[in-house]
Amino acid sequence: MTDQLTYPDVVQWAVPFFIAAILIELLWIVLKGRGGRYETRDAVTSLIMGAGNVASGIALGFIAWGFFMWLWTLTPLDLGNAWWVVALCFVLDDLRYYWVHRFGHRIRWVWASHVNHHSSQHYNLTTALRQTWTYTFTFMMVVRAPLILLGFHPAMVLFVGGLNLIYQFWIHTEAIGKLPRWVEAVMNTPSHHRVHHGRNARYLDCNYAGVFIIWDRIFGTFVPEMEEERVDYGLVHNLGTFNPLRVAFHEWVGIFKDMTGRGLTLRERLMYAVAPPGWSHDGSRQTSEGIKASHLQRHPEDRGTPGFE
Amino acid sequence: MPLHILIVLVVGGIAGIALLTWAFGLSKPLRFMTEAQARDAWLRHWPEDRIAMIHLAPDGSAALIETDQGPGTVFPMGADSCAHRLENAEIRETPGGLRILFHDFGAPRLDVPLPPAARAQWRQILSETP
Repeated sequence: MTDQLTYPDVVQWAVPFFIAAILIELLWIVLKGRGGRYETRDAVTSLIMGAGNVASGIALGFIAWGFFMWLWTLTPLDLGNAWWVVALCFVLDDLRYYWVHRFGHRIRWVWASHVNHHSSQHYNLTTALRQTWTYTFTFMMVVRAPLILLGFHPAMVLFVGGLNLIYQFWIHTEAIGKLPRWVEAVMNTPSHHRVHHGRNARYLDCNYAGVFIIWDRIFGTFVPEMEEERVDYGLVHNLGTFNPLRVAFHEWVGIFKDMTGRGLTLRERLMYAVAPPGWSHDGSRQTSEGIKASHLQRHPEDRGTPGFE
Repeated sequence: MPLHILIVLVVGGIAGIALLTWAFGLSKPLRFMTEAQARDAWLRHWPEDRIAMIHLAPDGSAALIETDQGPGTVFPMGADSCAHRLENAEIRETPGGLRILFHDFGAPRLDVPLPPAARAQWRQILSETP
């Protein structure tokens, strides 16, 4: 078995590229007067969230790594490290990303970690770095288990996961419009991902792809960016703080408060953790389905159009 | 990458980008100069509400919104906005205006500079709310 396989930590090595690309995008927007927006506190919060993500990876990464290496001792399979194995691993890991990301929007426990990535009302390259500090606590590392049991080395799985994250950096921009049709058909692009960051009823819960948008097309969650409806970025209920600690933990606090509320059944307490965001025991809040239904009541003409099918 | 180089890059990068955005004038907070602006900002967050009255803070740093669902306040979040209902809020008087404590971890508090007359009006509206 290739127990000693190692790959570079590509996300850390990409940091200089991230900084350079942000500077180029910022200068482009200022000089051209188009292509997106920057605001100081929003950008700083996003960048601190990114730094915290790297720090939490250094501090807590051993948990996932230990789990993966334990799985590696269990599997009799070893696919080796040929280039085509790495390529296959990249594609399968992107499928893994799609489902983890979809869970991240549909299960509040996972949303509590992912929500901060959506908490900016801006959409620029700093938004890409507004990453979670609490991913380990979602236990979503289990979704990678099949890859390792199939014989992909844990180091390779983490390596391609890093490449996936780097790919997704550049699509967080308004400076790039739509790309050639074949690119938009196969790849996740700035246009597709702008839609994913929308808080418009039409754009909720769609375009979960990491690298290949084909997963959304296959699983029926694809919504195109529509010229007649500009994307409004952020959360359905936007945060009233730039404090990174509050950004990182606000939904966890919300889950704790809801689960410990008075007069709830055990099932209701559990649902506050695992039901889709917006679920409430008394129906006083709205999930994305409720928001879409309310929108259609006000705008019946939208029924049957993308995002309301 | 050696940790000390990573730390220098991250700290330097954040500081540099913060400085540049500030130098380019991208730190100016949103101000609600008209009722229509405050109305749009509220309805962006609560599209189903019917708005009865809008009370702008004189400096445009917030607006008190009276709706069919109860009162709320809309305030700038940098260049953007946040709109929050006031059902669980606690209102305190400060030397320069009002402090609103939302009792929400994701939106802790808002300080609204208000002259005495406006302060009294906001307090009266909020006290009349059931």
